[in-house]
Amino acid sequence: MAKDEARPSKPISGGSIGEANLPSTAAVALDGQARASASPFVEGVRRLRRSATAVVGAVIVGLLLVVAIFADVLAPQSPIASDQQHTFERPSWDYPLGTDQLGRDMLSRLIHGTRISLLVGVSSVLLALFVGVPFGMIAGFYGGRVDTAIMRVMDLILAFPIYLLAIILMVIFTPTAGLIGTMKVTGAIAIVRIPIYARLVRGSVLSIKEKEYVEACRALGVRDGWILFRHVLPNCLAPIIVTTTLGIATSIIVEATLSFLGLGTQPPTPSWGWDLKANVAFIQANAWLALFPGLAIFVTVLGFNLFGDGLRDALDPRLK
Amino acid sequence: MRIYILRRALGIIPTVLMITFVVFVMMRSVPGDPVVSLLGDAYTEEDAQRAREEYGLNKPIVLQYFIWLGKLVRGDWGASILTGRPVLQDVLIRLPVTLELIVLSMGVALVIALPAAIIGALRQNTWADYTATTAAMIGVSIPEFFIGVLLLLLFSIGMGGFLPSSGWVYLPGTCPSMICGAGLWGNAQHVLMPAIALGVGRAAILTRLLRASMLEVIRTEYVTTARAKGLSEGPVVFKHALKNALIPTVTVMGLQIGFLIGGAIVVETLFAMPGLGTFGIDAIIARDYQQVQGFALITALAFVVMNLLVDLTYTFLDPRIRYA
Repeated sequence: MAKDEARPSKPISGGSIGEANLPSTAAVALDGQARASASPFVEGVRRLRRSATAVVGAVIVGLLLVVAIFADVLAPQSPIASDQQHTFERPSWDYPLGTDQLGRDMLSRLIHGTRISLLVGVSSVLLALFVGVPFGMIAGFYGGRVDTAIMRVMDLILAFPIYLLAIILMVIFTPTAGLIGTMKVTGAIAIVRIPIYARLVRGSVLSIKEKEYVEACRALGVRDGWILFRHVLPNCLAPIIVTTTLGIATSIIVEATLSFLGLGTQPPTPSWGWDLKANVAFIQANAWLALFPGLAIFVTVLGFNLFGDGLRDALDPRLK
Repeated sequence: MRIYILRRALGIIPTVLMITFVVFVMMRSVPGDPVVSLLGDAYTEEDAQRAREEYGLNKPIVLQYFIWLGKLVRGDWGASILTGRPVLQDVLIRLPVTLELIVLSMGVALVIALPAAIIGALRQNTWADYTATTAAMIGVSIPEFFIGVLLLLLFSIGMGGFLPSSGWVYLPGTCPSMICGAGLWGNAQHVLMPAIALGVGRAAILTRLLRASMLEVIRTEYVTTARAKGLSEGPVVFKHALKNALIPTVTVMGLQIGFLIGGAIVVETLFAMPGLGTFGIDAIIARDYQQVQGFALITALAFVVMNLLVDLTYTFLDPRIRYA
């Protein structure tokens, strides 16, 4: 595992605490001897660039990010302005992907929909990380009653079929349009995904806290918080990064599914899941309308899955 | 073993109680209540108050839960506030539809995944392997409803309505009331697309996992031994390798149950099937407390029972795993 690889380049043997605290990249720059064996980060990036899947995934994700950031410039028309003169236009030069039942340009809706998908996908995972990781670290590090209390709550969430919980949460939050609506979806998905990170981190911490370098820190009287964030956390990053990337793919699917069920971000805010659902009704005569939002979801999820797979192979060869 | 099963079966009870209780509390924190939708637009506050009293909605939430539980123990699942129909009856009408969908989709998943994973692992890094892994990668990235839409385009619209795009015909013998249509061919026509839509994603996950664990198992010494003692490839693959490779796969399949229930909701919605999924989502959106409780109960039961079955499968796959 990457944890094992990370260890040799961490100057833990015979060094001072100050030395042990150096981030691995800085250690490479300062310590001439360490340069021969590259830092795990550099090594990881090198292996990542050799993996075709990771490169393809990274390109897809990168392009989608560009589309999301420059949606206002890239979209030829407004994604929400309806035009009764041009409903159900077939794909043409004016409307490359046609128009829907309200005469809205499909391409523009898809381009703006990228924002919602990526925003919800990435921020829900980050939110789940920021709650789940500290809880997992505390549970694993301190054990005992704290561990039991935290993990009971996590198991409670895990005991639910995730869609049942996400759907009820969305009904409680009442779906709305715009940024607030997007934040509600983000929150609902994040709550459902917190235990995944808490469990993952707790598992890693349980093994890391028994290591000599943690013991050394304790012997030197280093504060717990410092040990956790400077010594324990960096050593359980590899599985976290991999799970995060693949988690974004899952979150995007969950968002699209909630939208498809009518419980995601509400119209007029463009959302792929909603667009697909709304256009299934017209599938008989206008198949492309349901096809394009579905393709958009598929390509986005594929991008994150490919990138995540590549990352896993690069950082965690044993998990392959 | 028998004691273990008994203990696990008893362990189901607290989990089910917990899930139903949390759902109970959560549903009552949803803004709005079913009385308002029951009475329509024109009602006085007194009417609403009287209705709430009638359904016991004015009592403390915990008390309401215990009343629900008390009735449940006596076999009374309550009645829908909006339609007045007994919840248990509705659940029983809809259960066979969802059960058939889930069982068939798992069948679809196995039929695709077993050969794909075995061939992929035995012929690693050949075109057959690349095809299997690429297809699996695509499979895990397509949401169920998009596969459903593609199937609709292909079989329903493309082939002039060869397969119906919505509705349901019951499997003979599963229809609990006299009014529903039943027939083998009609049932097959209706269930084919939903089962494939739900099964393909599972097939992809299974393929990826099983291929990876097959690759690991096939390099172990006991497989080499089996080959060395002259066994033909068939028994080596199926009796020695596959059985051991299935263990991690079965674990993950257990974890997939939560997604399968969500997938059933989505697929049933897309194909307008009268199953538990559509029952549940409609009930949640209409805030029909009693129906939601019924849905939560049957979901929780299915969830824990399936997890128990997964654990028991281990002993079959690996006799060294024994539950005392």
